Amino acid sequence: MFAGFHTMLRSAGLQVGLTEWLALVEALDAGIVEPSLRSFYDVSRSLVCRDEGDYDRFDQAFVAYFEGADLPPGLKDKLKAWLSKPIERPALSEEELAKLQELDLDALRKLFEERLAEQTERHDGGDKWIGTGGKSPFGQGGQHPTGMRVGEGAKGRGSAVAAARARRFRNYRSDRVLDTRAISVAIRRLRRLERKSRRIELDVDETVRKTARSDDLVIVERPERRNQARVVLMMDSGGSMEPHTRLVEQFFSALKNGGGLREVETYYFHNCVYNKVFSDMERFVGKDVDDICRSVPPNTHLFMVGDAWMGPYELLAPYGSLEMVTSDKTPGIDRLLQLAKAFPKSVWINPIPENYWHAETIAQTREVMDMVPMTVEGIVEAVSALLGRGPKRDHREPVPMWTRDGVH
Amino acid sequence: MTDSFHRWNGTDSYIADDALAAAVNVATALQRPLLVKGEPGTGKTLLAHAIAEGLGMELFTWHVKSTTRAQDGCWVYDAVARLQDSRFGDRDVRDVSQYIELGPLGRAFSSDQRAVLLIDEIDKADIEFPNDLLHELDAMRFVITETGEEVKAKHRPVVIITSNAEKELPDAFLRRCVFHYIDFPDEDRLAQICRVHHPEVDDKLLAAALRRFMALRSVKHLRKKPTTSELVDWISGLRLAGIDPEKLQTTLPFAGVLLKDESDAQKAAKAGAADGSGGESGGGSGSASGGGWRGWR
Repeated sequence: MFAGFHTMLRSAGLQVGLTEWLALVEALDAGIVEPSLRSFYDVSRSLVCRDEGDYDRFDQAFVAYFEGADLPPGLKDKLKAWLSKPIERPALSEEELAKLQELDLDALRKLFEERLAEQTERHDGGDKWIGTGGKSPFGQGGQHPTGMRVGEGAKGRGSAVAAARARRFRNYRSDRVLDTRAISVAIRRLRRLERKSRRIELDVDETVRKTARSDDLVIVERPERRNQARVVLMMDSGGSMEPHTRLVEQFFSALKNGGGLREVETYYFHNCVYNKVFSDMERFVGKDVDDICRSVPPNTHLFMVGDAWMGPYELLAPYGSLEMVTSDKTPGIDRLLQLAKAFPKSVWINPIPENYWHAETIAQTREVMDMVPMTVEGIVEAVSALLGRGPKRDHREPVPMWTRDGVH
Repeated sequence: MTDSFHRWNGTDSYIADDALAAAVNVATALQRPLLVKGEPGTGKTLLAHAIAEGLGMELFTWHVKSTTRAQDGCWVYDAVARLQDSRFGDRDVRDVSQYIELGPLGRAFSSDQRAVLLIDEIDKADIEFPNDLLHELDAMRFVITETGEEVKAKHRPVVIITSNAEKELPDAFLRRCVFHYIDFPDEDRLAQICRVHHPEVDDKLLAAALRRFMALRSVKHLRKKPTTSELVDWISGLRLAGIDPEKLQTTLPFAGVLLKDESDAQKAAKAGAADGSGGESGGGSGSASGGGWRGWR
C-alpha cells in the first residue's frame, strides 16, 4: 500500500526508514486517520518529518504522488468551460501594465479563491473575473504581469494537495545549511578533562574512606574536572568573506557555546595575518602576533577561518597589508608560518568550496597550514587531525608547486 | 494496544488546528513522545495542559534548565540530607529510600492512571541530554541505583516535549518522536485565539489591533517578532486603558509589550513611517507622513 509514496518521500530526501513507515501503517491500523486525504497528510507528516525543514520536502513529495487525487468534482469542468477558446487580448500600454500591480502569490491565491466562490459564469476581456484575454490576474491569455494561470484545473481550499502545494514551509529549508549540533559534537572531542579547576567538589569516595579510618567525619575535597582545551580562533573579516557571514556566525556560535571549551580567544584579521590581529576590527584594538606566539598555553588549538583569497602580494610581499595599522615588513605567508610553528595544533577552515582551492593564494596558504572546507565533514575531519587520529588529508597533489626561499 | 485511545481535538480554551490534533492523536495512539517546535508564544507549553485537560489526565511538568541532567527527571538522591541525618538527625539513615525523591518522569511512571508528562524546553539542556533520556522513554522504566529498585510505568504516559530549537536534537532521538511544528497562526485564527482570552472584546478594537499586529510582524529582519501571547497581553492593556480603536491607526500605545528590543522598535518605526499608517488595507489614514508612530517617538 502506498509503496510509491514511500519511494517518493525517500527520493525527496526524507529519511523514511522502516521504523517510520511501520509507524504509519500502525497509525492507519489504529484508526487515527480519518477517511480523507487531508487527515492522511497530517498524520503521515507528523511521523515522517523530524524537523520543520523537512516539511517542504514532504509537501513536494505529497503533491507529486497525490496530484489530482482530490479535485472537487465538477470544478475542473466548470473552469475548463470558462477558459476554453480564448478571445484575442487587447494590447496594453506600459503604463497600464505597471498599474496592474504585482501581487504576491499568497494574496493572489486568496483572491482567486474568493473570485471562484463568487463567479458563476464565463467572463472574457474584463479586469476582475476569471476568464480569458483580460487584465484580471486570473485566467488564460491575460496580461496581468504576475497573474495566476488557470489551466488544467485548480484546487479548492482545504484540500490536502492544495495545502501541500502551498509549500508554506519553503523558507525553513535554508536554515539547515550547517548543522551546528554536529559541529558542537565534533568540537567536544577536543575535550581534555583535568582536575585543574578552581571550583571544588566533594570527593565522596575519599571522604568515606578517610572517615571510616578516623573517629570523626573527614571531608575530602578536590578540584572539579574541567575541560582544559582552549581554542584561538582567528577570523578573516575581509570583504570577500561577506557572502559567508552566516556560515561563519554559525560555526562561531557552535564553537563558543556548544563546544564546552575552557576558553575561546577570538581575533579578526583582514585578508591575511600581519603583525597584529584584532579583537575589535573597527577600532583596531588587538594584540601583536609575536605576543600571541610567545606564550601558547598547552592544549591550545588554532582555528583560522578565512577564504585565503587575496592579491598575491598581500600574501607574499613585505608591507603587503592593505591597512595602515598592519603595515608589516614580514610578508603574510611568513606570519602564517610563524603561527603554524607556534601552534602545533592548527587548522585552516575555508568556506570556499574545495574545487576552487587551486587558486594561487589558497594553494600557497595550504602549503603552510592544513585546510579543510567549512562543512560538517570538514570540521569533523579537522578535529580528528588535531587529535592526531585518522589519516591526515593529502591534498597537495593537484596544487601547482610553489617554492619560495626561507619558507621551506 | 490502543484501547485507551481517545481522540483529542483541542479544548474550549486551546484552539488546535487539524494538523496539530492529528499529531497529538498519533502520539497518544502509538505511544510515542510528541515533539513540538515553534516560535515562542505559539502555545507549545500550553498544549500539554490542554491535552491533559482534554483527555482528563494528570499533568507532570519537567522544566529543563541548562544544568538539568537526565537522571534528575527520574529521581534525586539527597546525599547531603542523609549525611546530615547520620550526625544530627533522628531518621534511620540505613533506609536509603527515604532520601530518594522521584522526579517528574518517575512520578508520571508510577501514577496509577495514564498521565501526561511535559518535558519543557528540552533544548535548554546539554546537547547529549536527549540521548541520555532515550532508554527511559523507550523502555518506560529505570532502576534507582542507590536502592536497586525498579520504577516501571504502570501506564505509558503521553509524553509531550517542547523545543525552541536553540540546539539541534540528535537524530536517534528524533526518530522516536512524532513531530509537529506549530506554525504561526493566520489572522483568522489569531482573532479566534484572542476571543478565547477576551470574550468581550470590542470587534473594532480587535480588528484594529490585529491589523497593527500583523503589520508589525511583517516588518523584515526583526530580531524578535511579537508573539501570540504578547498580542493577548497587548489587547488586555488596550482594553484596560480604554484605547479608542480609531487611535490605533495612527499610534501604537504600549509598544513595549510587543517589541522588546530597541533596534526592533527602530526598524518597525522606520518601516511604519515608510508606508504611512502601517496597515496595508482598508481605510488607512495616510495623512500623517512619519508622525504616525508617535508611540515610541
